[in-house]
Amino acid sequence: MLLVPCPNCGPRNWSDLRYGGESHARPDPATATPLQWRGYLYLRDNPAGWLRENWYCRSGCRRWFTVERNTATNEFRDPPMPGDKRGAKA
Amino acid sequence: MTMSRLGTARPTEVVDRSSKVRFRWNGKRFSGFEGDTIASALAAAGEHVFSRSMKYHRPRGILTADYWDPNLMVQVGDDPNVRAGHRLLEAGMDVRAQNVWPSLHRDIKALNGLVGRFLTAGFYYKTFMRPAWLWPTYERVLATFAPGGRIDPDTPHRYHDKRYTHPDVVVAGAGPAGIEAALAASAAGARVLLVEHEHAVGGHLRYSSSASARAALAELRAALDASDVEVLTDSTVTGRYEDNWLAIVQRSHPIAVERLIKARAKMLVVAPGLIERPYVFAGNDRPGVITSGAARRLINLWGVRPGERAVVFAANSAGDAAAADLDRVGVEVAAVIDGRDHRRVSAAQGSPKAVEAVLAGGSRIEADLLVVAAGWTAPTSLLNMAGDRPVYDPAAARFFASDPPGNVLVAGGLAGDGSLDELRAHAAATGRLAAQRAAAVAHRLQARTARARPAEGAEPAWAPDERTPLDRDPHPELYRSDTHGMVDFSEDVGSKDLVAAAREGYDSVELAKRYTTATMGPSQGKLETVNTVAAIAEARGETIAEVGTTVWRPPFAPITLGALAGRVFEPVRVSSIQPWHEANGVTTILAGQWVRPDHYGDPAAEVRNVRTNVGLIDVTPLGKLDLRGPDIPKLLNLLYTNKWSKLAVGKVRYGMMCAEDGVVLDDGVTGRLGPDHYLMTTTSSGAGAIWEWVENWLQTERPDWKVHVTPVTTAYVSINVAGPKARELVGRVSEGVDVSPEAFAYMEVRTATVAGVDGCFMWRIGFTGELSFEIHAPAGHGLHVWEALMAAGKDLGVGPFGLEAQRIMRLEKGHFIVGQDTDGLTLGPSTGLSPLIKLDKDDFAGKPELAWATERRLPVIVAIQPDDAGVVPAEASQIVRGETNEILGRITSSRLSPTLGRSICLGQVEPELAAGGTKLTVLLTSGERISATVMDHHAHFDPAGERLRG
Amino acid sequence: MTGIVRRLRRRPPRYSAAALVWRGMRGDHWPRIWRDTELKRSYDAVVIGGGVHGLATAYYLARNHGITDVAVLDKAYLGSGASGRNTAIVRANYLTPEGVAFYDRSLQLYNSMALDLNINVMMSERGHLTLAHSDSSLRTMHWRAEVNKLQGVNSSVIGPDEISEIAPSLDTSSHPRYPILGALHHPPGGIVRHDAVVWGYARAADHMGVELHQKTEVLDIVCEGGEGSNGKGAGGRVVGVRTNRGDISTPIVVNCTAGWAGLISAMAGVRLPITTHPLQAAVTEPVKVFLPTVVVSGSLHVYISQTDRGELVFGAAVDPVATYSIRGSLEFTEELAGHVLELMPSVSRMRLLRQWAGLCDMTPDYSPVMGFTPVDGFLVDVGWGTYGFKAAPVSGEQMAEAVATGRTPELISPFALSRFDTGELVGEKGAASVGH
Repeated sequence: MLLVPCPNCGPRNWSDLRYGGESHARPDPATATPLQWRGYLYLRDNPAGWLRENWYCRSGCRRWFTVERNTATNEFRDPPMPGDKRGAKA
Repeated sequence: MTMSRLGTARPTEVVDRSSKVRFRWNGKRFSGFEGDTIASALAAAGEHVFSRSMKYHRPRGILTADYWDPNLMVQVGDDPNVRAGHRLLEAGMDVRAQNVWPSLHRDIKALNGLVGRFLTAGFYYKTFMRPAWLWPTYERVLATFAPGGRIDPDTPHRYHDKRYTHPDVVVAGAGPAGIEAALAASAAGARVLLVEHEHAVGGHLRYSSSASARAALAELRAALDASDVEVLTDSTVTGRYEDNWLAIVQRSHPIAVERLIKARAKMLVVAPGLIERPYVFAGNDRPGVITSGAARRLINLWGVRPGERAVVFAANSAGDAAAADLDRVGVEVAAVIDGRDHRRVSAAQGSPKAVEAVLAGGSRIEADLLVVAAGWTAPTSLLNMAGDRPVYDPAAARFFASDPPGNVLVAGGLAGDGSLDELRAHAAATGRLAAQRAAAVAHRLQARTARARPAEGAEPAWAPDERTPLDRDPHPELYRSDTHGMVDFSEDVGSKDLVAAAREGYDSVELAKRYTTATMGPSQGKLETVNTVAAIAEARGETIAEVGTTVWRPPFAPITLGALAGRVFEPVRVSSIQPWHEANGVTTILAGQWVRPDHYGDPAAEVRNVRTNVGLIDVTPLGKLDLRGPDIPKLLNLLYTNKWSKLAVGKVRYGMMCAEDGVVLDDGVTGRLGPDHYLMTTTSSGAGAIWEWVENWLQTERPDWKVHVTPVTTAYVSINVAGPKARELVGRVSEGVDVSPEAFAYMEVRTATVAGVDGCFMWRIGFTGELSFEIHAPAGHGLHVWEALMAAGKDLGVGPFGLEAQRIMRLEKGHFIVGQDTDGLTLGPSTGLSPLIKLDKDDFAGKPELAWATERRLPVIVAIQPDDAGVVPAEASQIVRGETNEILGRITSSRLSPTLGRSICLGQVEPELAAGGTKLTVLLTSGERISATVMDHHAHFDPAGERLRG
Repeated sequence: MTGIVRRLRRRPPRYSAAALVWRGMRGDHWPRIWRDTELKRSYDAVVIGGGVHGLATAYYLARNHGITDVAVLDKAYLGSGASGRNTAIVRANYLTPEGVAFYDRSLQLYNSMALDLNINVMMSERGHLTLAHSDSSLRTMHWRAEVNKLQGVNSSVIGPDEISEIAPSLDTSSHPRYPILGALHHPPGGIVRHDAVVWGYARAADHMGVELHQKTEVLDIVCEGGEGSNGKGAGGRVVGVRTNRGDISTPIVVNCTAGWAGLISAMAGVRLPITTHPLQAAVTEPVKVFLPTVVVSGSLHVYISQTDRGELVFGAAVDPVATYSIRGSLEFTEELAGHVLELMPSVSRMRLLRQWAGLCDMTPDYSPVMGFTPVDGFLVDVGWGTYGFKAAPVSGEQMAEAVATGRTPELISPFALSRFDTGELVGEKGAASVGH
């Protein structure tokens, strides 16, 4: 089970958290065009690589936070998880 | 062959010859000894056929005499597919052969073997197509060939347990290397869990005849006993998942049938040893052809003589050791065919109890046992799961790890060869390295937990791997002889099938695997993977390294569904009033996790009582969020579609929430209890999600706002007191509040002492359409408050009402329910609440979509009455255009109204049908079409709302 | 489409019982199921993805429209992705009229597939039960049944007694936690041998001249005239693809990938409403056949069928975390086993043999993205979530028609990419949970 680095609670089983998906800015609702707003609602970069994403530590500190994860390997950047691929070779 | 128990015990023997164990085999009485496996007891009793093969129903005997033996799958009571080569004998066991029809020794389906040349791999893809109507019959016949045991429909989900553990180092495999690694890691200060697949530690030392091996084993065992290492036997590290999350299946446990242990290991040492690989030649699946490991285990562990006269095909020292063991216990070794001298066994023939070995060149040797030591398969499963892609070394004729992650280390035969001392030295170095790295991992974990105790000292350096690599002994590449034979014993797939598949174009290992089903059966490649790859390589004229191997997927050893499920933790929630409900004839309904009162016998009577007297309903599951802080009005303006800036203290307001795509998300009332104190309610089913949604807005979009949110759903019991006499009843039990209409108006909130309980608050709202007070009392006093209300209202005719009565009354009033009358695409304006969508606010969730929605043709929620007052269309009945099948809407809610004495509905219809008075056609589930009329208001009853304002 | 040459059809060696016996007697081998050909420098159309969707598209291009100068490219082997990893369930009991019509056509094509393709795909029309454990899910079952009936699709809601008759191993007692209150019964649903569908389409397409190229990875899509970088993006057109085996010029590229749909589309400058999630599945050891139908529970996120080989095949909902890593998780098997035992306690002693995962491209409305894109010549057949296998035949048929005619066929018009510009999503999202 993936360990997710909660900035408050430390590395936690991912099942302790809620996955919030790709982190993206909310357009200004006063000026957004339909295409911009629906881009915000529906379109995603969905890269096979580094992704900025949100998590909610629902069983711990109850804070939303943003981290970077490589979606091809599930490594987290800053801080790396101990021991696995990258941490091990560092 | 004729197997039998040796007259004298072997020094390594694990059976207790003084303790007899009686059991049944195919209904007949047998006995073995304490310490026997099912298979060893049967072998000692002279049994030589244990199962029938999957497709051709060929007789099968012992092959490897261990857990992985594909021929030793039996049914034990209600337990199917038990590994008889591993499962220990227990008194009274009812053991039966599987996949036999009608019996093990007279199997009619063996006739399939005669037509085998037509039943080539994948033959079923090429036939049974015409006539098409006959295919279901063919299919039923094919299904009777499904192998395996039987499910007893009465098997319960017995007690299963789970364990979590966080060791520094887990060592998978307790052969000499695994034990040594565990001891070294433990000596270096690590907390170590050593997991052994077999019933005892020691690996191959357990069945070695050499005195030095016995001495080494005794020494290792003593050291283990004296150490802090935790040892699990009859247990397998069966899965390695992300961040060294390990699944360990513990098959022997005093209480649980089988136990799943979940270990978060800082380091994993993989030391499972090697699996002996069968050799492919004609007749290699006949009873009497066994691996060298099987011969040595039978002799040395269980004292079973595996035959009378043996031929040994030996390509390595394990074969030599088997020949020596056979000789030692008086089996005549007719010949040792040395595979290292390019000599080959070509075929095994003979009558059922004899095995005639045919050598390459044609010479024949009469025997009743053919022992094969052709090489090894490296069980790299855990390495694969860790992302490693093992590499084939043709010189050693097996796969080796390539580049596993730094928290996975390899020791023992999987890492290389050498003398016992060399393997132990390498393993000890591995254990020390594991301990060093585990300390570094522990430090990093601690350092990343900001709010916990800070990590002490500097982070230890990540220890480099400075182990002296083990040598690799040369081994001949022996996969197939000059004849074709069985590759996958559990699937009945031969080398001929694989060659044919490759020629037909299924020439990558994955395609051939899928086409022939090789490696797909219960042994999952343990014995047959490399032979499969070798056969394809041969057909393609390529090397094994070029063809590559299939990916080993978890689990390494199968695990029961019972163990995976463990105890069932599916909680239900009840309010503190539940005992009263149960004592008063409630019928409950499950709503999400909540068990709720649905009714107390007669929902229509409950409705009538509320409309004439007064009723109580337990609405505790209602979502409740306590909000504190100066910026709450801003938050409410952002979350709800309507305006909240001017809500005075003591006032309550209804609001609807839409998601950013404009779809209705939730609704409820929120009241202002004090200057900076509000209570928000949500739907029962939305309670959890809305809480997270609110936190998301506050934390990510508006972190500067000062609002603190506390979920208090279960901190309060919620009781709705509804009916014309509600004021009288509430007034009788409340102190500190004036319940007169002048002092406490509709849509207001007050704090009060109710039935002597301080800290209650109540508000006047009206989901049922009656005068009603919703009392929120501290949960621990909920039952008391309920009982006090019941006692105080006896003369008023008070009675309980359930969810069903509430649903009828809300439908009479035309209140929609989010998720029932709305769906995943219902935008805010469809609800008919457009006046509550304030597009002149600066911002709120979903505002742009709701603004654009005014331009769109959206379905509309309307009240509908069937013209025949007695017909209640089922919920989900479709609204269609006339006699056509064109769908124009659907009934979302429907009930017979006890108040109006007629059928009433809510539904979603196309916008052109939304005007009051429009005639609709409703298709009943019976297929009948009825006419119905759209109403002017959502409310079927009291549209002006006079009753609830009273 | 100009310059299309209808190729001489090679006569395929027919599969039949007689041919099996004949070759068996003579000891003859069967010829290769598809040719091994050189990659040409130019094709009339290139299909990316050698799974059921890509192969079906190529097959129908050749069979229905005579377009045979087609290359199907796969970076691994045919059927290596979701086509070979799904749980092979087919059904048409969807919620929306457009969904029902679409999947009903697919089911028809599955029913005639063995004869159409001359390969036994083992279509097992064993019925499909979607269990309801709450009154709200029962209401959704009624909704689906009513819409299905109006479309002529056989579905009805049945009660616990009837469920027991169909599948006696299900626990229909008044269970403490997830009582089985009823089920949507869909007799035409069932399972198909997924690999045989891959091989059948591949073999038939190959016979008509389509080229199948395995281990051929697309590295880029070459465009010109578009508003983005390198001529990609809206307003541009496709001129070719670059692969690890060389460049190909082509005016038509059809993206039939799953798991990599977003990455391939990005090569043409087209952004998709997709996130990629693993979907896990697992299989037990075989036991004698006892479960005669497909059982699905949306609330418990599980679907169960028993193969003719005796294994129980399980699937679940997609993993919540978006990732391209498909190593599988322990928690999936734990939750799965718990839920299966809720429904069928008697299989407690069966052993899980193997687990695996595939990638699913999830869209916001649980419906695919099909047809034309803002880049001329670049078509998509993507976003198949967890329901791609059951739609493969009709998708291939309709995508082939789109390529051949240059127009969007009516059956797939609800699934156009442009719906995410207008916000008019497909109503399959209407049902709170999507079963399989």
